[in-house]
Amino acid sequence: MGLAIVVLVASFLVLLLLDVPVAYSIGMATLLTMVVAVDFVPAASTTAQRLATGLDSFTLLAIPFFILAGNLMGRGGIARRLIAFARALIGALPGGLALVNIIACMLFGAISGSSIAAAAAIGSVMHPKMTESGYAPGFSTAVNVSSATTGLLIPPSNVLIVYSLASGTVSVAALFVAGYLPGILIGGFLMAVTAFVASRKGYGKGERVPLGEVLRHLLSALPSLTLIVVVIGGIVAGIFTATEAAAIAVLYALVLVALYREVRLRDLPGILLGSVTTTAVVMLLIGTSLALSWVLSFEDIPQTIAGTLVAISESRIVVLLVINLLLLLVGTFMDMTPAILIFTPIFLPVVTGMGVDPLHFGILMVANLCIGLCTPPVGTVLFAGAGVSGIPVSTVVRPLAPLYVAMLIALLLITFVPAITVVLPRLLGL
Amino acid sequence: MTRMIDRALGVLLVGLMSLMVLTVSWQVATRYLLNSPSSYTEELATYLLIWISLLGAAYALRVRAHLGLDILMRRLRADRRRSMRMVAHGVIIAFSLVVLVFGGGWLVYVTLDLNQLSAAFQVPVGYVYLALPLSGLLMTYYSAVAMYNLLQPKGGRALAAADNQVLET
Repeated sequence: MGLAIVVLVASFLVLLLLDVPVAYSIGMATLLTMVVAVDFVPAASTTAQRLATGLDSFTLLAIPFFILAGNLMGRGGIARRLIAFARALIGALPGGLALVNIIACMLFGAISGSSIAAAAAIGSVMHPKMTESGYAPGFSTAVNVSSATTGLLIPPSNVLIVYSLASGTVSVAALFVAGYLPGILIGGFLMAVTAFVASRKGYGKGERVPLGEVLRHLLSALPSLTLIVVVIGGIVAGIFTATEAAAIAVLYALVLVALYREVRLRDLPGILLGSVTTTAVVMLLIGTSLALSWVLSFEDIPQTIAGTLVAISESRIVVLLVINLLLLLVGTFMDMTPAILIFTPIFLPVVTGMGVDPLHFGILMVANLCIGLCTPPVGTVLFAGAGVSGIPVSTVVRPLAPLYVAMLIALLLITFVPAITVVLPRLLGL
Repeated sequence: MTRMIDRALGVLLVGLMSLMVLTVSWQVATRYLLNSPSSYTEELATYLLIWISLLGAAYALRVRAHLGLDILMRRLRADRRRSMRMVAHGVIIAFSLVVLVFGGGWLVYVTLDLNQLSAAFQVPVGYVYLALPLSGLLMTYYSAVAMYNLLQPKGGRALAAADNQVLET
């Protein structure tokens, strides 16, 4: 086992540094580790088999559909309508525009299920407005990037589907409902810190909007917001599966953009191909990560790590803290999907042995790894957000610092107050 | 040649994706309207996803959509950067040939030989796995093209131009 883990970690890190795409780095590290253990032919064919059978899942089908629905809506004025609604609602508070950015990101993330899409769609509208009103570009981007990750906890969310697959026991419906309060909690903390920073820097308030205006904006955002009710309501009520709900989301989005005349028929092939590309990137990561996870258990590595963790301490609090620290580290250089697929089988048996609810642990993992999405060197949302704003990543990191603190405090609360996560699903009997 | 493959692959992927949306929509419709869930749609959609994922991954390689870690790359001089790109593409080719083409091909051969059939359609599962070697061949071809372009005198610029073309079509 000793040699295997050395080969695995060393080859993965070297390939990653060589700018080999992450999915290929994971796949190649898997192959090399397998070659150490068994002959060449079974090593190659088993890796291929694990990759293909890993993708053979009806639950995973929800992912391309949510991506497609998100792309359809990201094209049109849905982002603009959500922003107008959020602005009418809270634009008059100190740091109004920044708070609008956060709310709009949460709403858009909830509808599209993608944090990168949220950062891009909301950021591209809000960033020019915020800099025009005197916000520092770095601060504006930092707010956008950090709040965009809340969409991964607020359902529908593809990473929660991935966790459902990795855990093998937790239902997508329960995870979706469980994500609401933690997602809103993180959003709330971000808003508090943002308002504080904004008032110290003297960023202006917006105008107060009359109630009639608020209602008008709510009305125009309503068709988009209804999607959440249909999709999540349908899943929670057990009317349809997550995959069917995702297909309904696609049809709903198609009708919506057709009614608003925002997407023309000849745009569809491009949108479909873009969605295929995003899907394939995620799916290749899923396939190779599942192959890697299989090799790990073949080499008894999860048991070894579990033994080490338990040896450190038998206290649940200490073990959860150690796991949180490890995941924060992992999150800085690994994307969320492979991190969930690789580390769930390692950590989940340890913590469930200590009485932690697998549902709670999944939300904890996602909330933790969200922070890594906003940190260099591999923060995909950070890079997407900085790209949309057209400013270097380095200028965003400093204004992000207080927002990291907000996210960390929220993470600690989510970790040590399981009720935040499990109360809603329990209430609904999921 | 390369543009023809791009185009054919793009058309195929758009077709498969549309088919997948229709299949699952049909499943929802049959369950609620006709009250007779079809076991075929679930299997068809899942197999479509495998094909879309694997062939789409080759397309993603072409348009450089796969995520990578460029912290080291960004600090290098242009000529070193080019050699590092060559190595990265070499790794991609090695993975594609060994795991997808050879390992996947072996898997196709074994499952066809055992005559393993799918649950609903009763088609040989080996045909589903055919996506593995096919995707591996496409990835190898695309990485070889990228390496060839890198070796041209104005390799970097030519590659960027080719990429832009792909992204526009």
